[in-house]
Amino acid sequence: MQMGFYFDQSRCIGCYTCSVACKDWNDIQAGPANWRRVISMERGKYPNVFLSYLSLSCNHCEKPACAMACPVNAITKREEDGIVVVDREICLGSDICGMPCKHTCPYEAPQFGEERNAKMQMCHFCLDRVRENKKPVCVDACPVRALDAGPLDELREKYREGKNVKGFTSSEETHPSLIIKPRYAP
Amino acid sequence: MSDEKIVLTSCPHDCGGRCVLKVHVRDGVITRIETDDGEEPQLRACVRGRAYRQRVYAPDRLKFPMKRAGKRGEGRFKRITWDEALDTVASELKRVKETYGPTAIFYVPYSGNTGTFLHSQLAVFRLLTMLGGFTPTWGSASFWGSLFSSQITYGTITTGHTRDDLLNSRLIIMWGFNPAETVLITNTCLTLTQAKEKGIKIVAIDPRFTDSAASFATEWIPIRPGTDTALLIAMAYVIIQDSLQNQKFLDMYTVGFDRFKGYVLGVEDGVPKTPAWAENITGVSAAVIEKLAKEYALMKPAALLSLGAPGRSAFGEQFHRSASTLAAMTGNIGIHGGDPAGFGFQPVGLQPLSGVGLISGLMPGNLPEGTAQKRGVHISRVWDAILRGKAGGYPADLKLLYVTNGNPLNQFPNSNKGVEALKKLEFIVIHEQFMTPTARFADILLPVNTHLERNDIIRPWFSGPWYMYLNKAIDSLYESKSDLEICTELAERLGIEGYSDKTEDEWLREFWKSAQEMTYSKPLLDYDTLKEKGVHKIKVQRPIVAFKEEIKDPKKHPFPTPSGKIEIYSRRLSEMNNPGLPPIPKYIETWEGRNDPLAKKYPLQFISTHFKRRIHSNMDNIPWLKELEDQELWINSIDARERNINHGDLVRIFNDRGEVIIPAKVTERIMPGVVSIYQGAWYNPDQRGVDRGGCANVLLKDEHSPAGAFCSNTALVQVQKV
Repeated sequence: MQMGFYFDQSRCIGCYTCSVACKDWNDIQAGPANWRRVISMERGKYPNVFLSYLSLSCNHCEKPACAMACPVNAITKREEDGIVVVDREICLGSDICGMPCKHTCPYEAPQFGEERNAKMQMCHFCLDRVRENKKPVCVDACPVRALDAGPLDELREKYREGKNVKGFTSSEETHPSLIIKPRYAP
Repeated sequence: MSDEKIVLTSCPHDCGGRCVLKVHVRDGVITRIETDDGEEPQLRACVRGRAYRQRVYAPDRLKFPMKRAGKRGEGRFKRITWDEALDTVASELKRVKETYGPTAIFYVPYSGNTGTFLHSQLAVFRLLTMLGGFTPTWGSASFWGSLFSSQITYGTITTGHTRDDLLNSRLIIMWGFNPAETVLITNTCLTLTQAKEKGIKIVAIDPRFTDSAASFATEWIPIRPGTDTALLIAMAYVIIQDSLQNQKFLDMYTVGFDRFKGYVLGVEDGVPKTPAWAENITGVSAAVIEKLAKEYALMKPAALLSLGAPGRSAFGEQFHRSASTLAAMTGNIGIHGGDPAGFGFQPVGLQPLSGVGLISGLMPGNLPEGTAQKRGVHISRVWDAILRGKAGGYPADLKLLYVTNGNPLNQFPNSNKGVEALKKLEFIVIHEQFMTPTARFADILLPVNTHLERNDIIRPWFSGPWYMYLNKAIDSLYESKSDLEICTELAERLGIEGYSDKTEDEWLREFWKSAQEMTYSKPLLDYDTLKEKGVHKIKVQRPIVAFKEEIKDPKKHPFPTPSGKIEIYSRRLSEMNNPGLPPIPKYIETWEGRNDPLAKKYPLQFISTHFKRRIHSNMDNIPWLKELEDQELWINSIDARERNINHGDLVRIFNDRGEVIIPAKVTERIMPGVVSIYQGAWYNPDQRGVDRGGCANVLLKDEHSPAGAFCSNTALVQVQKV
């Protein structure tokens, strides 16, 4: 089984609630480490402007490039649900290994704090919540219900196949577990 | 290690929402915050609520009572005991009252706590009233134009539909309406999302391509600030020319349409208010105006939504008066999917006042007749009133300033003048949680606890079908106390008997009892169940529609105006005899608009907008929020190119009132000729007096519109690369 995320870009208002709820739940201080990022993209020329947002975390890829890049196998993909997790005890730290996980990931999902030799950290699908049959905190936080999470098969059935959008291309190599419904210009 | 408990509460701010916070507490420490995962409609918290843990435990929270150690405003303080602090405040209150009379005491609260039944400005209000009175403020930085106009036109501010009624509309016009950043009642964004997905046409009218315009609207109509009324009046022209008005509705339910029609057609002044006339003023093309007017007249039902922004302008009252007139002309009043375009209170979830009786004299319902203006000082004129007193026509010479729940130096216009005013006073006492720009000027600074450290009941922001209990999650941190605790101790020192004869719990029980009188809210939960459940969602079977009765049976249910009808023409306004408040709605050109001679020197129109990562000036200092987006000047690429400004460059924004330096956001999302700053960033003047924080009020004129509308979108500036 593979867990995954669904993101309805047509709904996202760019409010960052998912991002900060994630920081509070997972106790991440302000700084460069940001497990769920909200990116805004402006296009066009006044007055024909188009604006869209992306809310991205780790996509828990079918074939995670980060795991293959890690020199000490600190990153693993869980058999039971496909969630990609990092063992920070094993992780060498950013200064020692140069963060190949971050550089190989097409989405720069692996995150590092500002401390010296920071250990890698990233979205673990709120494993503690999943264990209690809850969805990741970002999903339960979204005020406009633009996020969902669950078994990827079920998400595909519910929302159909996702599309590539500006800022996100589904990698043919890693197969991210993310379905995006795009926002189109009116 | 003890078990984790979950405490149900909400936020008590002027944030636009009222949402469920589920606060996890372990060993007396907040560990996490979740939101509503219960029955629908879920009241999910916004980004600011989710960051609240950092606010409670912020290292810069005020921990102890302090007294000023350096020069006033320098920000140097010395820790003192509560006894010393309260003794000083009590003796200063006594001294000023005895020397100058009670009106020399100037109480300036604001919206730091909003909607709470107990812990709010009420505590100080009650204390100073019992002491013998004080000079109050009047006005609102948010909605005064709307509040006044709604009273004049409809005789009430309760003109709102519950938000779910938007799904019955065929057309929604968001006019200066940006809930994606301002929330504007919890779940409004979710409802607009559903409306969009249902295929309802949504149009956004705004100088900026806001997050709401981008997320909900299929059409964006950029408009020059301060000219919205001209657009509405030209829409009326189109509707009249094509005989699209609902004449039957106008005849039956309104007074004064013919006079308005005469003005619109130019009978009165020889100027027909055609789309071409409005194009020249607003920057909106005549063709777009014509199309919009026809859509609004024909796509029924249609909801014209605006809470405040276009009315936060010189003569902003006229915007709201005109919008209501258009709603009447199209018959969009009293029907599902329509909207009267009035103030917009829903009749559910209002604060019960009858049982409280402490602030009824200051509540909006009693204001537009001009009584409060006589007694108090408009919030735009606070600095001038301190500097000039009676000689300047103000009610009193002000000597002692008492500030709670607010940051007036930051949030009232003309901050540099504010600094001069604050230096002039004899004594300043402030209740605060943080060292805000205003708090730096205190002589005595008293630390207040947060709402997570006390119990309260709260109504929804604005209104809506629910109430909440704010359960105390942790004990008061450091030496902080609630406003009520502080005032109770001051009352003892001042010899005021009977200030508080009840415990927190007893007060709340009494207030809740008085809430039972609210018609739509029956039956309410009993107090203990409310406390336990945290939220009482009032079941509303069908969306609530304002003025249903008045439309169905106008004889039995007249509008609460002097004429019993919707007043397009108002005798009350006529009697005021103020050219800025004509008896029928009119377009009046603002000061500091693009035709002002000042525009040669300061050619850009300046507006100040809300910011999703702050609540006005609240939470500007919270790291999780601060890092989300920078405090920037929005400037169109055309204006930026003329000034050789690139995205991210530091720029000076200035006029005769002051100067701000912040980075530029060069964007296509704002119309050329207009620049904007998010209001609420903390005023931080350098040695030359140049604000490095990005405080919008440095640039704003300390003047209000004739009936009190706050003019935060009426100013001219110039911008230069640093």
